[in-house]
Amino acid sequence: MLEITDLAAHYGDAQALWDVSLEVRDGEIVTIIGPNGAGKTTLVHTIAGVHPATGGRVVFDGSDLTRLPAHRVCSRGVAIVPEGRRVFPHMTVEENLALGAYRKGARATHRATRDRVCELFPRLAERFHQPAGRLSGGEQQMLAIGRALMAEPRLLLLDEPSLGLAPVVVDEVFAAVETINAEGVSVLLVEQDVERALSVAARGYLLVEGRIMAAAPAGRLRDSDDVRETVLGL
Amino acid sequence: MDTLQAGLTGVLAGGLYALMAAGLSITWGVLRIINLIHFGLILLGAYLTFQLASSWGIDPILTLVITVPALFAAAAAVQWTFDRLRISELSSLLISFGLLIVIVQAVGNLWSADFRQLTAAANPYATRSVSAFGLVFPLPTLLAFAAAVVLIGGAHVALRRTFTGRALRAFAQDRAIAAAFGIDHRRIGVLVAGAAGATAAAAGMLFAMSNALTPATAFEWFGTVFAVVILGGIGHLLGTLVAGLLVGAIGAVVTVLLSPSAEPFVLFSTIVLVLLLRPQGLFARGGTR
Amino acid sequence: MTAARRGLVGFPVAFAALATLSLYRETMGFPLFYLTLLGTMLFWTAQATSWNILSGYSGYFSFGQAAFVGTGAYATAVLYGRHQVNFYVTVLAAAALCAVLALVVGGLAFRLRSLRGEIFALLTLAVPFILSALAHLNSAIDGGQGIIVALPPFPAGLGGAQDYLYLVSLVVAVAAVWAAYAIQHSRFGWALAAIRDAEDVAEGLGVATFRYKMLAIVVSAVIGGVSGSIFALQIGFVAVTGVFNLTVPLFVIVMSVLGGRTHWLGPVVGAVFVTLLQDRLTSSGLADWRLIVLGGVLAVLVVLAPEGLYGRLRAGPWRALAAFAVVTLGLRVADAFGEVLDWILIGAFAAVVVAVLPGRTVRRDRTAERQPADEKPQEEKPPEQEQADAPVGDVLVECTDVARYFGGVRALDGVTLRIGAGELVGLVGPNGSGKTTLVSLVSGTMRPTRGTIRIAGRDIAGLPPHRVAHAGVARTYQVPRPFESMTVRDNVAVAIMFGREPCSLPRARVAADRHIGFVGLAPLAAARPTALNLHQRQLLEMARALATNPKVLFLDEALAGLTPAEIDNAVEVVRRIQRGGTAIVIVEHLLRVVNQLATRIVVLDKGTCLADGEPRTVLRDPAVVRAYLGKRAHA
Repeated sequence: MLEITDLAAHYGDAQALWDVSLEVRDGEIVTIIGPNGAGKTTLVHTIAGVHPATGGRVVFDGSDLTRLPAHRVCSRGVAIVPEGRRVFPHMTVEENLALGAYRKGARATHRATRDRVCELFPRLAERFHQPAGRLSGGEQQMLAIGRALMAEPRLLLLDEPSLGLAPVVVDEVFAAVETINAEGVSVLLVEQDVERALSVAARGYLLVEGRIMAAAPAGRLRDSDDVRETVLGL
Repeated sequence: MDTLQAGLTGVLAGGLYALMAAGLSITWGVLRIINLIHFGLILLGAYLTFQLASSWGIDPILTLVITVPALFAAAAAVQWTFDRLRISELSSLLISFGLLIVIVQAVGNLWSADFRQLTAAANPYATRSVSAFGLVFPLPTLLAFAAAVVLIGGAHVALRRTFTGRALRAFAQDRAIAAAFGIDHRRIGVLVAGAAGATAAAAGMLFAMSNALTPATAFEWFGTVFAVVILGGIGHLLGTLVAGLLVGAIGAVVTVLLSPSAEPFVLFSTIVLVLLLRPQGLFARGGTR
Repeated sequence: MTAARRGLVGFPVAFAALATLSLYRETMGFPLFYLTLLGTMLFWTAQATSWNILSGYSGYFSFGQAAFVGTGAYATAVLYGRHQVNFYVTVLAAAALCAVLALVVGGLAFRLRSLRGEIFALLTLAVPFILSALAHLNSAIDGGQGIIVALPPFPAGLGGAQDYLYLVSLVVAVAAVWAAYAIQHSRFGWALAAIRDAEDVAEGLGVATFRYKMLAIVVSAVIGGVSGSIFALQIGFVAVTGVFNLTVPLFVIVMSVLGGRTHWLGPVVGAVFVTLLQDRLTSSGLADWRLIVLGGVLAVLVVLAPEGLYGRLRAGPWRALAAFAVVTLGLRVADAFGEVLDWILIGAFAAVVVAVLPGRTVRRDRTAERQPADEKPQEEKPPEQEQADAPVGDVLVECTDVARYFGGVRALDGVTLRIGAGELVGLVGPNGSGKTTLVSLVSGTMRPTRGTIRIAGRDIAGLPPHRVAHAGVARTYQVPRPFESMTVRDNVAVAIMFGREPCSLPRARVAADRHIGFVGLAPLAAARPTALNLHQRQLLEMARALATNPKVLFLDEALAGLTPAEIDNAVEVVRRIQRGGTAIVIVEHLLRVVNQLATRIVVLDKGTCLADGEPRTVLRDPAVVRAYLGKRAHA
């Protein structure tokens, strides 16, 4: 469903991604793990069109997304849950969710989708009219996921959903991710918390210094000492 | 009583300032463009109203049918160009300063530097007024106040209730993420700038209704309008409305109590103080929200 | 010949030549009309130069030039025109008054934290309006009447009234341009250029930015005021609308932007060209078009050639001169229309077109690709090792219970940390753990909410960043921020010039070459930063930081985005710096590298210090593994 070949990306002169190739199959959860600064967020941004690719191809459902601006990638059915949540702080929970359904294909059904999101995250319904900036970190994370679901994506890009959250909340978030996946949405999960990521994903890629260093089923990566050593630089 | 009358008239007249400032404020807050051309567009709106009403005998209010689309298109075209050329905030200030001078001079060349005013025949509103509680309010001032409340209030509601409105606020708060949810920055830019152009048409018409026109007026608006934008908080519409009314009241009261020429002094000193003490504006924590 | 000596010859010669035109006007048959035009050019030269010293050199655009013109004009109008004080005394009064005004405006504006350029522009836009309202209101100043200013008596030998005005304007203009010239070639000018290119970097290298900005606004004000005072004589009748109007900032901005803002000659070129253009439009019956042309020129130039004509002309002077000569002489021979000035103007236009048009693509010469990565450094020993007197083990940085909150967020929450001489400490931690905050606190750009920081025993509380730099802290930036308008050598020289022991540019350049050689950039010393790749720019950051002769050097993500070969080279440079005795704190994501390099690792997590010690031990610490790999990963 998502197929990335030899992707490269730069920040000015600094190359952040080198020849990244990976795929996400229909209905799968795939995770990208790696130390911070490895280029995981850049990869997500490049897929979403937020950051330009400087080489390689991103193909989604047979159509080429590589050169598309972010707002058109969205309409193809890819939604992002960015690192650090980045909810719109001065808009209420309700407005943030409605904004998620901005793309043409999602507007008509946005009330129904919203009900489903509230079912998934009942706490959002309780905070419906509060500005997103006043929510707790965990609630913001739920809102960020809910906002992405409002776009009715077929592929969800999840960037560091556990960052800065209490372990209980992380459990809740990961449970939700599995529910979402069970409903047929494919997930590309970027995570620093290697253990957790590998526990929900089918397959994983190890990204180090902008390159894919390993690709294997989650279980195998989990048992590998290489991953540990690479991440800790031993 | 005089001071009360002056203050209230000032509040109503402040509606016009708010209307002038709203467009400038929203383009600054949302698009990060300080568009001094906005003053030129208001001036053009005023002169077009004058021209259409005097030579074709169109009712001043009806001239909006022509001026609103014209200025919408002009402002949108400028924004489209700015976007294409990736103009920074500071460059936008310089470029639009240059273009404003061009517009003002061109208006001067077309309509001369003399004062022009709608005749009583062409402008049935000028002399009418409404009285209540022993106070008298000129009709054009009331119209300006009503227009400001309706347009700015309407825009405020639209920003909250419509998909496009929410998109605009999201865009102002986080451009990259807004784009990832399908918001096309170019479309938003043209729309916001165009809407600002449309308010310039309305503000110009209302100004022409109750004032004599001269090209240099555009520069005289600078102080008041920037005061309103900055007091209200850049990009904050309701703040702009309140600040407009406040500035109108202050100006009128200062005029009565001190002298007309003290008004700019008080206003500009206020701007400087606000810039130094509360650069985010009096009412908001800043930004289009 | 040094710049100062060239100036000592050049300016008197220029002054004498221009003065001759007036003194021997009749002998030479020089028409009076031309002299008047030259006088106008001189007025605008002084004004544009005044604006440029503040706004062009430092990058803070002012829309308030009219404030200085008006204040100067009114000082003379009131004191001399109304109260018959000696005219020359009123010129001094104008200068003093403007200086005070500048101190007030600058003192308010530059004190603002995070003052953005647009806010400065708007603030300065407001000042002339306030002053004009004040003048209009106060009948002791103007009161709406306007003031007549007659010419003061002058020696008959100078010629007529026009000659006198011309000579006075000439003195002011030459003095103004000379000041701009002298500033550009002094430490002051380099400080302003550094502020324009990257203000907080300059401050971090030891440049007292606030002081230099204040000095710039005062010098600008004094020139503007003196010239305004002369302007009062030229116009003969001073009224509010005549001096406090928006055409003044329009003119000076257009002139400087057109001519070029970074060079003292830029505003001169611009003033001459614009004044000539204005004059020709007027005399061709196109007076109504003057402002339209000028406003249009400004808008187009900001887009097409924001760096101005001077640089373009200098890049290809002969082609421009040829275009000028061919067109002007051609028109003269054809003699179909107009007169000499028209021909000159059209010739100048031709030169401008030739200078601007092809230049759009020429600039980006990325000549130096990846040269020094494999090159052996010239010198193994780092220059100027004064750290030798700091014995290994001395505490250089001492943070005690340091905390920093942003609103409710605790970016740092009670960190205690000591760094000794000769150490190479790796500062690591997951995203958002507070590493960057700690660097900002130690380098003085941010104040701690709680706790104390000592550098070499000295508490830095309340010190501005440039003083902290002088105390011995230097840093590099993850995204390199060189001074783009300077060569590699001068980037480093600036750091030396404004270091603990200030020195002149020539000496700083010599010393700079040693630092540049030390990091292996010697072949690129004369290149501009735009010609450098990321790795080279990171090396430049290091050379520049080293040039401040720091006791401790913070390297913020200095390896991010580099290729493996480049990383190896950078690591080698870092080692070499350490061997020289400078303590280094390396903030890094790449644990592999930190592992290799550091003698000690400090791990931050959620604003607190999680572990501190020998690398191998620290990285096996369960708490650290958890922070990096997740909760259940310590099997």
